[in-house]
Amino acid sequence: MPAIEVTGLEREFEGGIRAVDGVDLEVAAGGIYAFLGPNGAGKTTTVRMLTTLLRPTGGSARVAGHEVIAEAAAVRRSIGVALQEAALDPLMTGRELIALQATLHGLGGGEGRRRGGALLERVGLSGAADRRVGTYSGGMRRRLDLAAALVHEPRVLFLDEPTTGLDPVSRKAIWEEVAALNREGATVFLTTQYLEEADRLADRVGIIARGRIVAEGTPGSLKAEVGHPHLEIGLAEGSIERAEGIGAAFGRLQPARDGKVLVELEGGATQVARVVRALDDAGLAVESLELVEPTLDDVFVAKTGEHIEAGASGEPAAAPAAADGEGSARA
Amino acid sequence: MTARAESVARPPALRADLATVRVLVRRAANEILRVPGAAIPGVLAPTIFFVGLTAVFSGLTALRGFDTDTYQSFIVPISLLQGAGFTGAAAGVNLARDIEQGWFDRLLVSPAPRPVLLAGMVASASLRSLIPATFLLAIGFAIGVGWPGLDGLVLALAFVMATGAVAACWGVMIALRFRTQSAAPLMQSGMFVLVLTTTAYAPLDVLQGWLADIARLNPLTQVVEAIRSGFVTGSVSWADAGQGALAVAALLAVLGAIALYQLNRTGRR
Repeated sequence: MPAIEVTGLEREFEGGIRAVDGVDLEVAAGGIYAFLGPNGAGKTTTVRMLTTLLRPTGGSARVAGHEVIAEAAAVRRSIGVALQEAALDPLMTGRELIALQATLHGLGGGEGRRRGGALLERVGLSGAADRRVGTYSGGMRRRLDLAAALVHEPRVLFLDEPTTGLDPVSRKAIWEEVAALNREGATVFLTTQYLEEADRLADRVGIIARGRIVAEGTPGSLKAEVGHPHLEIGLAEGSIERAEGIGAAFGRLQPARDGKVLVELEGGATQVARVVRALDDAGLAVESLELVEPTLDDVFVAKTGEHIEAGASGEPAAAPAAADGEGSARA
Repeated sequence: MTARAESVARPPALRADLATVRVLVRRAANEILRVPGAAIPGVLAPTIFFVGLTAVFSGLTALRGFDTDTYQSFIVPISLLQGAGFTGAAAGVNLARDIEQGWFDRLLVSPAPRPVLLAGMVASASLRSLIPATFLLAIGFAIGVGWPGLDGLVLALAFVMATGAVAACWGVMIALRFRTQSAAPLMQSGMFVLVLTTTAYAPLDVLQGWLADIARLNPLTQVVEAIRSGFVTGSVSWADAGQGALAVAALLAVLGAIALYQLNRTGRR
């Protein structure tokens, strides 16, 4: 049974504003699904409907096997939620907040304290557990919010832009925790406007724009839809024309850029070694090689004609080399 | 993290509900304990009214209809209810803040039943209304308010708490409707008007025109009279107390039902 099943989900607000316009999606139990899109695309509205905070005006949705309107209480028992703005009371301590969350979920005092202590330890906040939340950094607040969402051991975890506004170190810590939770069996539904976040964490990505899903699939399959990786060759010495002649044997030549030869590798990244050997055999000295994979932003551009807001991406459009072996690889 | 929600051992529902109310009350108490200044407006305004009006209008007791010659004994009930009204309505202001800051979503997305969440907010306000009451009574007894007897004192405090609960329901209702702290003046002024359009500063016989008509219809007049009998005569009138209890129960039932209705409708707009 899928953890989340959504059919024709719609949300129209007063004044006729249609924030979500017929979303269909399915998230397998145990998966990580990233909902990627720019600000105002409908991500948060969708999450609020799936978490029972907002009533859909059309379509249907089931979460953890329960219908979000008719069985809202059962949905709430099965989910953990960390919303976009970490909703924390600055006057409470971290330990008090986790205890309150445990009580809201019907856990007894002893059990709540035991789990709260373990979760604070897990997210690295044991040392700050008795400090007021108002003194926490942004990263600490997000980790506390995540711990609070986990106190009742939910089957499905909703994370609404969990790393927005965080520094790279805090962002990485959240990613590691999300991946670990998923390995332990939790289904994760996260919204993000960070390309790298979706690319790195999710096994399926839904790209949303203007309330509609415009593309859906694994990150790899989505990127494959918009083209092959490009190899950018910089020569230390030798003729660009000769290099282009060699490159053309491996794929379509693209217009040269900054004195570099650009080849779309029809056989994919596995051809890089062969290209290098061919250039070497021809006596051309290679100064630099860069494999540029299509990004999810390219997918977004292909589907909508627009970029995900540059300011929102937080990262260069090309995914970095560290991202699961995809993205740029420099030689 | 491998065990999942439905396998969790849980206490019985009633105990879990009471525990939820308790943690919500404790959270509200945090504000008083950790930011004591937050309690000042609810204490200061009715105290200033009480002391100021006593000083200015103490001669009014010479008029017919006043059963006492100490004006402070006559008006201390209204100051107590003013304090309860301000403090109770502040529950609505706090809720609007929680809505704006996203904290309320944390409560809504939990499986705690909506009536329990409302009970937590109302119970917090009800208990908080004892703070201005304690302060006012200390000042009042110091400047000559008559001793109402232990039963009169307990009754007065019970009505203060009940009125605090009524005000909290009103505040919650407004907060859920407008979802912004900008609606705070409406929350506070609503209770202000309800309290002042009673036999607040003069007996019903002395009031005239529209004010007399409204005071006669206003259920809170029954509450004022129930508290007043103890302070003015030194003994509780149980007939007045019964009418007051009925009136405050009716107010609580109506406003509580509307607040709960609004709470259940959250997320539909």
